Amino acid sequence: MIESKRRRRVIGNIATYFALATLSMFCTGPMIWMFLTSLKYEADIVTQTMQYIPRRVTFDNYVAIWTQSGFPRLIANSLVVTFLTVTICVATGTLAAYAFSRFAFRGRTQLMLGYLVVRMFPAVMMIIPLYVVMRSVGLVDSRFGLALAYTSFLLPLFVWMLKGFFDSAPKELESAARIDGSTRLGAMVRIVMPLARNGLVASSVFIAIAAWNEFLFALMLTTGQGSRTWPVGLQLMVGEFQLPWGVLAAGGILSILPVIILFAIVQRTMVQGLTAGAIKG
Amino acid sequence: MQALGELSETRYWMYLLLLPSLVMILLVIAYPTLYGMAISFREMRLTRPGLGGWVGFKHYAAMWSDAVFWIALKNTVVWVTAAVVLELALGLLAATALNRDLPGTKIFAVLILLPYFLPNVVAGHMWALLLDPRLGVINDLLVRVGVLHTYKAWFADPNTALAATVLVEAWHGFPFFALLLLAGLKSIPEDLYKAAAVDGAGVSAQLRLITLPMLKTVIAAAVILRVIGLVNSPDLLLILTGGGPGDATQVLSLYAFQTAYKEFNFGYASALSVVMFVILMVFAAAYIRLSRITKGEGDD
Repeated sequence: MIESKRRRRVIGNIATYFALATLSMFCTGPMIWMFLTSLKYEADIVTQTMQYIPRRVTFDNYVAIWTQSGFPRLIANSLVVTFLTVTICVATGTLAAYAFSRFAFRGRTQLMLGYLVVRMFPAVMMIIPLYVVMRSVGLVDSRFGLALAYTSFLLPLFVWMLKGFFDSAPKELESAARIDGSTRLGAMVRIVMPLARNGLVASSVFIAIAAWNEFLFALMLTTGQGSRTWPVGLQLMVGEFQLPWGVLAAGGILSILPVIILFAIVQRTMVQGLTAGAIKG
Repeated sequence: MQALGELSETRYWMYLLLLPSLVMILLVIAYPTLYGMAISFREMRLTRPGLGGWVGFKHYAAMWSDAVFWIALKNTVVWVTAAVVLELALGLLAATALNRDLPGTKIFAVLILLPYFLPNVVAGHMWALLLDPRLGVINDLLVRVGVLHTYKAWFADPNTALAATVLVEAWHGFPFFALLLLAGLKSIPEDLYKAAAVDGAGVSAQLRLITLPMLKTVIAAAVILRVIGLVNSPDLLLILTGGGPGDATQVLSLYAFQTAYKEFNFGYASALSVVMFVILMVFAAAYIRLSRITKGEGDD
């Protein structure tokens, strides 16, 4: 009886590891392949017999994408847009998340649901009028305009995620500070914000990754080099120049590197916030 | 600072806190949305600036006899259903495995969640390379193990194009399910399983009687969020196939986008996206009612 139980457990563990290994391969395999491709000479990519491990390694593809395609400019634009988006979301969203977390007022639930519902609006439905409006106020092809547009779908997410983190900061400490004579504002800045610091970082990183990766709004709302972000640049390179795969792969690796690093650093906190926000929503 | 501190003691304080974000949202969402709905009743083509004015339900009537619209509607349903089913299955598998908390699962969790944070553009091109009819490693592997005789142009063949894009979407989206389902699994008390084991329930009975019922809410929420996300965003299909070959992978969001961006027919594109939005809202309302995910949801 006990013997068979142990055997079943061992078999279960083996099956679990097998499933995890297979899934991990499915998830990371394409990325590893892209990385290997980025290290190959073009002749070794376009070859009759597939080279699984590159026989000769080169960094020419990285040099090429960086020097020949205006990539630094695209990356710089993306950095600015991402920074502006995060700034707007943190500045306005933190206050809202705090209000939703700490105050009971009429229409609170409806308003929170309202923030969520606007997430459901089709991107296309937003982009067309945004394009028309931004064209009339001169914000098409501006990095600030793009950041404003990103706010439309990232601010609600940010508020929901951060509210979860504020909720888990104990209210007692805040009450204690208020009894000691601190104002609500003082208690928020000095007590609650430090307690929710990890959550604030994780939510901001989540917004930053999403802004860094965004493609559709950027494609529609940028028309020239002035504000074009890297996803659009990379996509246009494929169409216009028929870039060799190695260079394209190098571009992909360069542009997802910050995402992977940021995700690896804050993944635990970010995952907590995401699941809490999504499940409550 | 002093004055703000005093202000924070008044009963208007929470409204002041909400104001900045509310203004932002009204500015970048509410106004464009209403404006977009208005455009759908107007003639607006960037290529013909002289054209203008209200045309009533003209665009909506045109949709009725637009063959591409119906193809796109059908493709949307097929594509979203297939992708969500596949993502749910993979997500459940991943979450169940990760929930066993064996040594090393933390690293596996990071690897498995990673695709969700990669951009569509890179995901699209990466898979285009993997499935390339000439250079694709997947073709090579399939030929080696004998599943295929020759390399296949997955995205260029109308019979396989939609399925191939579903695979890419599943790769990109299943970690989202894994994430939510794992959180759901973690919230199930261990005692329930112990009690069931004492009563002699096997693995499949435990899955059927405890896990799935306890996960119902999470699954319902994850599915609706994903359906909304998939219906609304044409990114991946735009990058992978552009709706082709023919209209084999044309979906509503992509059709609306192309009508706006390639033909600059903003009026018709707006009407398309409004119809898409209405269908989605009707579906969401019906779905929420059916799955009763609002049941027992109070003012947390």
